[in-house]
Amino acid sequence: MRDSRRSFLKAAAAVSGGLIVDLAWPAAAASAAVFAPNAFIRIDRSGGVTLVMPMVEMGQGIYTAMAMLLAEELEVGLGEVRLEHAPPNDALYANSLLHIQTTGQSASIRAFWTPLRQAGAVGRTLLVQAAANQWAVDASTCRAALGAVLHPASGRRAGYGELADAAARLPVPARDSVALKQSKDFTLIGTPAKRLDTPDKVNGRAQFGIDKRLPGMKIAAIAISPAFGGKPKSLNAAAARAVKGVREVVRTDEAVAVVADHMWAAKKGLKAAAIQWDDGPNANLDSAAIIRQLEEASRQPGAVAHNSGDAAKALAGAAQRLDAVYQLPFLAHGAMEPMNCTVHARKDGIDIWLGTQAPTLTQAMVAQLTGLPKDAIRIHNHLLGGGFGRRLDADGTLHAVKIAQQVAGPVKVVWSREEDIQHDLYRPYYYDRLSAGLDANGRPVAWTHRIAGSSVMANRPQTEALPRLCSRISRGSRSS
Amino acid sequence: MAITIKVNGTARHADVDADTPLLWVLRDVLGMPGTKFGCGIALCGACTVHVDGVPRRSCITPVGSIGYSAVTTIEAIDKTPQGKALQQAWLDLEVVQCGYCQSGQIMSAAALLAATPKPTDADIDAAMAGNVCRCGTYQRIRAAIHRAVKETSNA
Repeated sequence: MRDSRRSFLKAAAAVSGGLIVDLAWPAAAASAAVFAPNAFIRIDRSGGVTLVMPMVEMGQGIYTAMAMLLAEELEVGLGEVRLEHAPPNDALYANSLLHIQTTGQSASIRAFWTPLRQAGAVGRTLLVQAAANQWAVDASTCRAALGAVLHPASGRRAGYGELADAAARLPVPARDSVALKQSKDFTLIGTPAKRLDTPDKVNGRAQFGIDKRLPGMKIAAIAISPAFGGKPKSLNAAAARAVKGVREVVRTDEAVAVVADHMWAAKKGLKAAAIQWDDGPNANLDSAAIIRQLEEASRQPGAVAHNSGDAAKALAGAAQRLDAVYQLPFLAHGAMEPMNCTVHARKDGIDIWLGTQAPTLTQAMVAQLTGLPKDAIRIHNHLLGGGFGRRLDADGTLHAVKIAQQVAGPVKVVWSREEDIQHDLYRPYYYDRLSAGLDANGRPVAWTHRIAGSSVMANRPQTEALPRLCSRISRGSRSS
Repeated sequence: MAITIKVNGTARHADVDADTPLLWVLRDVLGMPGTKFGCGIALCGACTVHVDGVPRRSCITPVGSIGYSAVTTIEAIDKTPQGKALQQAWLDLEVVQCGYCQSGQIMSAAALLAATPKPTDADIDAAMAGNVCRCGTYQRIRAAIHRAVKETSNA
């Protein structure tokens, strides 16, 4: 337990800019936490309680729901807590159903219902024990409520802040050894609590990834090859640099970025660069060709997912046969917050600020790209201006890292809405061919269903965590 | 040559071309990220601010066109009675989901109430039609605007 506590504190120290609910504690309070019984709870000497959110907030209310689970068992009021985004760490923050620190699949509460309650209960148990020791009474005669331990028999009371040092010195019990509250005693769970993330969303203070600001930060506009696998062929860098506010023109294998003092200069620079593209092997690929391939595939034999009886024979003998084709179009996720990623790349480490549903996957992929150890890739998560599964993928981060490696100092890469739609990882086109045979009474006697489409996993680079996530997602819905 | 504009009652300077949209001056030059970038072509409303009290899409408003007009952003809308009432109604009815579009929603709603203190559903729909919410909070936005009207007329 000692080791995991130390590694948690180290990981927690890497979090910056993660403050989303700030009830006017001094900025130093977070680092002054003295009681951190697990990866989710930190309490400082002034009684400030910080809860670390393993899953990300994208409008589903998860920061409030997870805070309720922790606060219920820790016995603190929701009005007393600060929330922080967790750093990437599968060992501490993986979703137990997805086996990775990923927000999706409507799996957050199912996975964290017990672990977060246990985390809160561990904290409460230690604080109660610390108070009981101090008062030389039995812990069972004390109770915790609203950030304090009470001893009703003597009327004594100690706030969590006063108990934090002593509680931190006690051995941490196993999480499944502590008593959880009975549902009849819940004061938060099951109540229509007010969202914790929304007050800052009505006054412009909420920090989405795109709102990141750093000293010396530049803004980059990006143009990615319009054809999959294409490359920039030529561009007029001098014309781009001549635009007021433009600092640099950066080229990667598949994109061009113009780095400037602000987005307008970057966009003007990108236009002035008049990029010519080498469309590469997919120059002639279009939706019509893809649909034609799927139409053909839907007539061929394929992998059989389920077979019972002899459908072909029953169809042939049916009184009436119905055939239908259903087509699902390519769809972009279209989150309101356009794709963006802020990166400060140094030789020995990279800081990344963005809103991501998959921080550890992103970290692993940046490590793979750069050859740096994972610990050197620091992901600072943010509120998401919509996720819808688009922010599970790290493509935008990889583009931003490749650009930032050619820029001195931090750079925020912001996609135009046009780039965001054109380079979405679309929900794939699906072509479904169904046939049914009916008997003389119109009752179904046979049914065949052929599905042709591409896997949402086909374009995802492999990392150690990916196969586990893939198997979960392929068993679940098509878009997560 | 720096351009001077009045933002939330304060004169601010930006050394940018006159064609630079107000949105990027606010966000990238003046460090006021409450006004959001959504589309850049006035189709989504996320960037809505007030120019002399009138709602404007800052993403297509050249900073050079502002002149001596007063720019108000989400960061200061609580200084108006309508803005303050709307923010409270938004929280009371839990309008917000991801929240990214809500700066623009509140700015459009505040301009509506300034011009039409007791809007009908049709007034609201017309005034808010240009503000897109990907989470789909439209019904609660309408209810919250009505609630803000009630709160301000009770006050």
